Amino acid sequence: MEEVLAYPAKWWNEAVLVWLVVAVVIYAVTALPGIYFIVKYRFKPGEREIGDQEKHGHWGLEALWTIVPTIVVLVLATYSFAVFKKQRTVPEGAMTIKVTGFMWGWQVEYLDDKGNTVKTVVTAYNPTSYEVPEEQKIVVPAGKPIKVLLTSMDVIHAFYVMPAKIVEDAVPGRITYLWFQINKPGEYWVFCREFCGTGHSHMFAKLKVVPPEQFALWLKGETELAKRSNDI
Amino acid sequence: MREAVAVPWFSAGLKEWIFTTDHKKIGIMYFVTGLVFFTVAGLFGMILRFEQTSPGFQVVSPSFYNYLLTGHGAVMLLWWAIAAHIGGFGNFLLPLMIGARDVAFPRLNALSYWAFFGASVIVLLTLIPGNHIKMMWTGYPPYAAHADAGVTAYYVFAIHLLGVSSIATAVNFITTYLRMRAPGIGFWNTNLYIHSLIAANVIQLIGVPSLAGAVTMLFLDRYLGTNFFNPALGGDPLLYQNVFWFYSHPAVYVMIIPIFGFFSEILATFSRKPIFGYKSMVFAIWGIAVISFIVWIHHMFTSGVPDWARVLISYTTVLVAVPTGIKIFNWIATLHGGAIILRSPMLYTLGGIFMFLIGGLTGIPNAMVAIDLGVHDSLFVVGHFHYVLGMALTMGIFGAVIYWFPKITGRMYPENLGKISFWLVFIGANIFYFTQMVAGFLGMPRRYPDYPPIPEWVTLNQISTIGALILGVGVLVFLVGMIKGLTSGEKAPANPWNSPSLEWQIDSPAPVNNFGEKPPRVEPDYHPYKYGAPPAF
Ligand code: HEM
Ligand SMILES: [Cu+2]
Ligand SMILES: [Cu+2]
Repeated sequence: MEEVLAYPAKWWNEAVLVWLVVAVVIYAVTALPGIYFIVKYRFKPGEREIGDQEKHGHWGLEALWTIVPTIVVLVLATYSFAVFKKQRTVPEGAMTIKVTGFMWGWQVEYLDDKGNTVKTVVTAYNPTSYEVPEEQKIVVPAGKPIKVLLTSMDVIHAFYVMPAKIVEDAVPGRITYLWFQINKPGEYWVFCREFCGTGHSHMFAKLKVVPPEQFALWLKGETELAKRSNDI
Repeated sequence: MREAVAVPWFSAGLKEWIFTTDHKKIGIMYFVTGLVFFTVAGLFGMILRFEQTSPGFQVVSPSFYNYLLTGHGAVMLLWWAIAAHIGGFGNFLLPLMIGARDVAFPRLNALSYWAFFGASVIVLLTLIPGNHIKMMWTGYPPYAAHADAGVTAYYVFAIHLLGVSSIATAVNFITTYLRMRAPGIGFWNTNLYIHSLIAANVIQLIGVPSLAGAVTMLFLDRYLGTNFFNPALGGDPLLYQNVFWFYSHPAVYVMIIPIFGFFSEILATFSRKPIFGYKSMVFAIWGIAVISFIVWIHHMFTSGVPDWARVLISYTTVLVAVPTGIKIFNWIATLHGGAIILRSPMLYTLGGIFMFLIGGLTGIPNAMVAIDLGVHDSLFVVGHFHYVLGMALTMGIFGAVIYWFPKITGRMYPENLGKISFWLVFIGANIFYFTQMVAGFLGMPRRYPDYPPIPEWVTLNQISTIGALILGVGVLVFLVGMIKGLTSGEKAPANPWNSPSLEWQIDSPAPVNNFGEKPPRVEPDYHPYKYGAPPAF
């Protein structure tokens, strides 16, 4: 069995495929007859100078292309509803992080069991490059669902987890959420997808997905560091 | 103002243009103003495109990019996609197609134009450095209330003037249609363009106040310290989005429905047969107009609105596909059994329908909320709406220009330039926007002047720019054709396409007093799509 890279990207990819097949079929049954008619019913002086005035409607056909598309789109919408439910239902045992957007970066807080912040990572605004210093990467464990609680300090931003194919706005005064799970360790892109000003295209982050044991170490190790810097 | 009306447009002096209340002259002024702004916004678009060609900032700074993008979006939508053709062709054609002397309130009509002109001046003022507005045409708060967004007030006042203009036009057109039809013109033998125009203006009448309200609150928040949208003091930024999209979603149908009307007129003429399913076409137009008011939340699928609202609106949104589908199928069926002439207006129409078909099919993923969660605010959306609004609409207008050129100017548009420009625009647009959609599926966000050098993104953006260049050349050829037609085009006969529709039964260019003192005689069996003899060319 092929390994799944990320959720909810897996279902998203399937949904796109379903749409694509339907779209290509509709395209074919519409465009091909159109092209055929254009070739066949061409104006020819002396031969075909006037169109068939009787062909100005047909209730049966018109009903057909009202009813069939209605059914098709309702089926698609219902299928999308089912996928949507999975995209919005955070699996049991998810780890929660708090992400706050600001102009133009992200502040990520890791919580303990009681909901206290144990560690904070802040990505600084970098207007010229897409390099991210090691300590500003958002580290998450592989193979574990992550629930992201989103909000913003200033204007609206949006948190797009590229490998997971999911985005949700970070709105000041509100808490929104999304969840994702990435199974393969590695580095992945996060982008701001709601227009937020001059730095919008440089409001990004690197997601560093590591094996769970390594994540546990990282979380502990850096906690000590954070404490020490607070003392100073 | 009578004397102004007594002069045909080509011998009218400046004073007559300024004081005219003639629907034809006002229409021409609307269209020319819109076209100038289209050209400028198109140049802005090309600069945006060059900036996005490769990663890094090569052409403009991010803040200037945001200004150009705000200007491009706002001007393309409000000047080109609404005012140019509704104010331009709507004014010119409405009285002619229903056999009227003018619109119902000619002076109000002049006011519409001059309010629009005022908005145009305001927009030009933003060209001055220091006056830039950078909040995008959507103007979402709290960003729009932030200093980084530039001078929000210009946008607010431009919208207010445009609103005055649109509401006056809507009242005028609706009244004209209801009260001033020549005897014999009824609901079931009105041109489909007029049905579309009236539906679009009904939407305007209901919706525009909502937009005006949204931007007014923006203004109050920014300059007078109110807190409609400030969450720190109990306001809600999502309120703006709701009020804004309540109009701005239906607005896309205001833009496209009249274009459907152009398609129907031109398709019938160059297939030499009646439009297939005339009645279902009329129902479809009104169906679209009604559904358009209950789908706005699909612009907010990822904004944090409750999940039930997203699902509900996902259903209503996919339903828009039904009436639009009816229209496309009816157009295809119109071709069946026709005597098809591929003159350039017909090419533009067929191309526009083709673009709309792709635009419609790529609208479905935006409506299916599950897919939208992955493509919202990506370049996919930009590609999608350039298919429908950008290109189906622009090709519709270009086709309409060539088709009614004889009636408006008295000359023919040069056919060879029409054909060449069509192929350039069609091929360029497809390369340009298709690659944008693919880049969006691969995750590339919209409104990004810079992006990391992800190889697929770079390749797609480079191909996209080649398409944009071809498209740009096509648009230029089209504009050259307009100038050439105007200065040295062949003299046009009264009815070059041999159409039974009323506007073709008078001289070219249309005489100052339209049909003369009395309304035209309309035969009891009149129908705008009843074709007899083949056309004269
Ligand atoms: C002349 C050819 C055109 C070119 C080269 C062009 C190019 C572009 C580019 C590069 C973007 C920016 C993508 C981004 O960074 O997100 C854009 C956005 C846009 N374009 Fe065009 N475009 C053209 C025609 C049109 C037309 C005819 C319309 C409408 C009738 C239109 C409406 C828009 C809108 C509404 C946006 C989005 C603005 C925003 O994000 O707020 N464009 N266009
Ligand atoms: Cu942001
Ligand atoms: Cu942003």
